[in-house]
Amino acid sequence: MSVGTGSLLTVEGVVAGYGAAEQILKGTSLRVEAGEIVSIIGPNGAGKSTLLKTIAGLVAAREGAIMLNGADVTAEGALGRARHGIGFVPQERNVFGAMTVAENLDISGFQEPARVRERSEALYARYPMLAAKRRALARTLSGGQRQILAMAMGLMNAPTLLLLDEPTAGLSPKAAEELFEAIMVLNRGGLPILMVEQHALEALEISTRGYVLVAGSNSREGAGPALAADPEIRRLFLGG
Amino acid sequence: MILILQALINGLMTGALIAVPAIGFSAIFAVLRYPNFAIAAYATIGAFAAWWANTTLGLAVVPALAIAFAVTGVVGVVAEETSLKRLRDKGALIVAIASIALNLVLENVIRFAFGNDMKGYDLPIARDLRFGELRIGPQQLQSLALAVIIMAAMFLFLRYTRFGKAMRAVADNPDLARLKGIDPARIAIVTVFLGAGLSGVGGVLIGLDTSIDPLTGYRVLLSVFAAAVLGGLGSIPGAVVGALALGIAEEMALIVTPATYRTAVGFVAILLMLTFRPCGILGERAA
Repeated sequence: MSVGTGSLLTVEGVVAGYGAAEQILKGTSLRVEAGEIVSIIGPNGAGKSTLLKTIAGLVAAREGAIMLNGADVTAEGALGRARHGIGFVPQERNVFGAMTVAENLDISGFQEPARVRERSEALYARYPMLAAKRRALARTLSGGQRQILAMAMGLMNAPTLLLLDEPTAGLSPKAAEELFEAIMVLNRGGLPILMVEQHALEALEISTRGYVLVAGSNSREGAGPALAADPEIRRLFLGG
Repeated sequence: MILILQALINGLMTGALIAVPAIGFSAIFAVLRYPNFAIAAYATIGAFAAWWANTTLGLAVVPALAIAFAVTGVVGVVAEETSLKRLRDKGALIVAIASIALNLVLENVIRFAFGNDMKGYDLPIARDLRFGELRIGPQQLQSLALAVIIMAAMFLFLRYTRFGKAMRAVADNPDLARLKGIDPARIAIVTVFLGAGLSGVGGVLIGLDTSIDPLTGYRVLLSVFAAAVLGGLGSIPGAVVGALALGIAEEMALIVTPATYRTAVGFVAILLMLTFRPCGILGERAA
């Protein structure tokens, strides 16, 4: 497994899990370079979401190292990682349901209050649906609208890396397609993205690179489209 | 009819006074996820701090209230950081029980410092206002106005300020709040300061209506808890609605039952709410 020390994000030999004895990640490694979309695919229980949570600082790494822009952030919690520029959009409970769309964006810019207005106006311009729904409670939004809001919240702190955990989970095919388009637009603007995605084929096709995770360990890695076209990958994970 | 109208007015007055500490109780529950029964002692400490400021320093009610808020807020934060915080990872029940013990300790500190005697604020005596056969005490009206102002200030704080929104965010989803760069530990300190401070102010308002002693807070603890459960534990608007509903129910109950059964209304309210609507009137989580 090659790990570049000059990468934007470097995860090296990370061991992590939830309980004291439970080990979900068993020495997982990956890297994300500037400007990339990187997808992590694998069967259920492979540890894909746990890996993202570990990178975001919600799950502690027991072994290994996590470097962001050359700085070792392994010992930092979620708060410290957020301050280092990691934006994480969880799969579930990713908006503050009892707060309005506008309040969700405001509070997501908590670290830089002076920039909140400017950034939220930019996001309203990028996603007009949010502007139209700014006074609506987040819990009243549809699944697709909620994912757009969650992603916009992830952008309020101007992250240097955006982590997306199954962004299209539960969405209709049309809403999922629109979300993939929104992800590509963000990336074309220069934002590196690391995502776990249930629609593995579609995710790999828009990704610069992809990793296949099996039982908490790296199984394969390669260029996204090449992995998507690999017959073994298609048979094992994509049902093709 | 007059009896019912008078009970309704008295109930609204009582409810508004209970609402202030109930907001404090609910705010602490929303952010820290445990019922802090030490708010009874905080209410007593607030009542005594204001009494001291009023009778010793000669301060009027409003500055005395400000002193009570600050003193109780600081006591709450010190108590939280030195005792309850250490038990948070043991679960809500353990912290709740520890808060009962903390309440007893603080209550007896007050007893030791100020004695057991009833004490009254140095306030001018005024006749009740009469509206036909209805009577309202000027002090009750002043307390009601203060309670309404405090509740309005709390709502504005929660809705429009950065820290208020952060409190709501942590109450809603602490992990997501952390991902957004909000430090839940810092928000917890602000919340405990506000919650304890509001309990202290509630103690003063209750004391202004009658008199104070080391059990001032303890006597209203059940009503405060019942109001919070009734409105929905963790819901600030719910605490106000619950307190007003409970205040009216308690006063109405006095029409048909002896005064000794008044506290039973709180128990009955909790029982009915937990049986038929565990999340409370405005709450979203089961109590």
